[in-house]
Amino acid sequence: MTPDGGIRAQGVRRSFGPVHAVADVDLVAAPGRVTALIGPNGSGKTTLLLMLAGLLKPDAGTIRIAGADPVTQNYVARSRTGWMPDVFGTWDSLTAREVLTTVAAAYRIDAAAGLARASELLELVHLSELADQPAHVLSRGQKQRLGLARALVHDPDVLLLDEPASGLDPRSRVDLRVLVRRLAAEGKTVLVSSHVLTELDEMADDAVFISRGRTVATQSVADGDRPREWRLTGLDPEALTARLDEDGPAYRKEPDGPGVLVELTGDAAAAALLRSAIEAGIDVSSLAPAGGVLEQAYLALEEERR
Amino acid sequence: MSVDVEVVESAQPDGVVPGERGTWSLSWHGLRTVAVLELRQRVRSTRWKTALIVWFLMVGLITLLTTGAFSILSGDQPGSDEPFGGTVYSIVVGFVLFLGLLVAPALSSGAINGDRNAGTLATLQVTLLSPAEIVLGKLAASWIAALAFLVASIPFLVWALVGGGVNWLALLTTVLMLALMLGVVCAIGLGFSAIVSKTSGSAVLTYLTVGGITAVLPILFGLLVPATTTTESVRVWDVEPGYTWEETTAPECEWQTHEVDVWHSERTWWLLAPNPFVVVADAQPLNGDPEQLSEEGNMLAVLQYGVRYARTGDTGPQDWCSGYVMDGNTIQPDSPVEPVKVSDQLVWPWGLGFDLLLGAAGVVVAVNRLRVPTAELPQGTRVA
Repeated sequence: MTPDGGIRAQGVRRSFGPVHAVADVDLVAAPGRVTALIGPNGSGKTTLLLMLAGLLKPDAGTIRIAGADPVTQNYVARSRTGWMPDVFGTWDSLTAREVLTTVAAAYRIDAAAGLARASELLELVHLSELADQPAHVLSRGQKQRLGLARALVHDPDVLLLDEPASGLDPRSRVDLRVLVRRLAAEGKTVLVSSHVLTELDEMADDAVFISRGRTVATQSVADGDRPREWRLTGLDPEALTARLDEDGPAYRKEPDGPGVLVELTGDAAAAALLRSAIEAGIDVSSLAPAGGVLEQAYLALEEERR
Repeated sequence: MSVDVEVVESAQPDGVVPGERGTWSLSWHGLRTVAVLELRQRVRSTRWKTALIVWFLMVGLITLLTTGAFSILSGDQPGSDEPFGGTVYSIVVGFVLFLGLLVAPALSSGAINGDRNAGTLATLQVTLLSPAEIVLGKLAASWIAALAFLVASIPFLVWALVGGGVNWLALLTTVLMLALMLGVVCAIGLGFSAIVSKTSGSAVLTYLTVGGITAVLPILFGLLVPATTTTESVRVWDVEPGYTWEETTAPECEWQTHEVDVWHSERTWWLLAPNPFVVVADAQPLNGDPEQLSEEGNMLAVLQYGVRYARTGDTGPQDWCSGYVMDGNTIQPDSPVEPVKVSDQLVWPWGLGFDLLLGAAGVVVAVNRLRVPTAELPQGTRVA
């Protein structure tokens, strides 16, 4: 990773009067990777993204966006950042195409190039058919997609997406995931905030957990060495548990289902467990990770805090 | 938009750093982008068109009614071909300005806080537009909208001019001053819309400010009359003592000293200057004879002479003797007291200057509020 690429935030703080919205956040998001920003409601995600987008001044700490400091080099930082806010306001009487050409003009792109870029982006977010409809007839999910297109108008190096998937239908969620992965593959830095963890699981490479305005953990999603829970079910649950008691890893019964939960480290361990069960004549009907990596990590953190 | 091929600094996808632009950087491209965005939204709202039509009908109605009324009045006096244009003209101008002062705050006082509440302000702030471009673009849009109302009233102003009695040059100065006044009110509204979070709040504050310079300051001027009136010994060119007015010979005039109440309006005239009606009235070319003002009924000219006399104020010696008419002859035609000259006592540059400063203050406040990154947020507002 180049020292000036991506997002680097250190010791960032911001309070609104007596409320410490962001108390102490460290965050690194590398170019070419998708970083998830995870935290409960009110944990300071949106405030942090406003600071990263160059709209809000941090009380303390340093931020670098693609090498530029949004406080002292705000214009340069803004030119490299694409920001999609969580509350999507739009110019209701403008058509989707006009929204994008206006934003292109605001990014100082000349009119002809702006028009071409608008058509390209409308195609990308599947809004071409609605391109000349006023924005107020768009549904929430369609507005959300228009908001994503708006953040991409000036081809930014760094993308800040605040709850991008809220209001999207399943098809659009898949499209969003594919698009975000593609942008990362092009070398862009993508920071996605959300509290819908299953969707981040498939999208993110890294995760930063924040809670009450502080960074509480950083981890890699693809990290295979980390133990995680797997869900194992058999046709005969009694035989399965008997077998595990006899020779197998520690397990606990699933509280609301017929299966058991086993903690395993890596895919190889799961394969080995499955083989040994079949060799012992147990009819295994499924073995799969229980919940997402991020969900487990998140719940574990919640647990620690209590 | 699509035929526009103006070359501007294009986006730099290859990562070349564009030059740093500060809070006050301005470009024609940026201004136009914001103004076009604002005007597009305004033009598409039906409310605005309705307002324009209602305006046209109201000004038309007033013009028709005043014209009709004065035609009948002058028709009652046979042989009278007194031009009544001055009266109609001044009524129409006053009415247009009055309505304009009501409409302009509504056009601009929601420009910033309205966008903030709708969540569209921050989406402009993150782009490469500077705060000054956003504010001045919005000001231009609301001013153009206000000027549309002014343009809709021009046919009636011209119609009133055709009635005669008013210098054609007056149309030019009047329209120019009306336009500037509407621009000032728009700028004040914009300033308040950047400070206050609710659009109704900023509208009220704008109306209060406009009301302050239009009504409160003149009332203050009136209330200060006792405070600015002093009893002084004044040299008076007076009738000789003991003259009874029953004699057949004209009185001799002579210098005497009297204790007289003198109103020093030259100390407080500036309270009248910022009033938009005063600015519009005083900027027109001075025409006619002050003696005939009351007969012509051009209220703008009356106002003009009024404020200029107020600015001139106390002029020293007074003449109580000259000008009496006896047996068809004016007695003592030559007076040693210089008549008051008001032609060079301009009031409007001061008033206009003050109003423009108010407008500029509104713009500066708004630009400072839109500065990013934001250090402090106004109470009860969100960034996005």
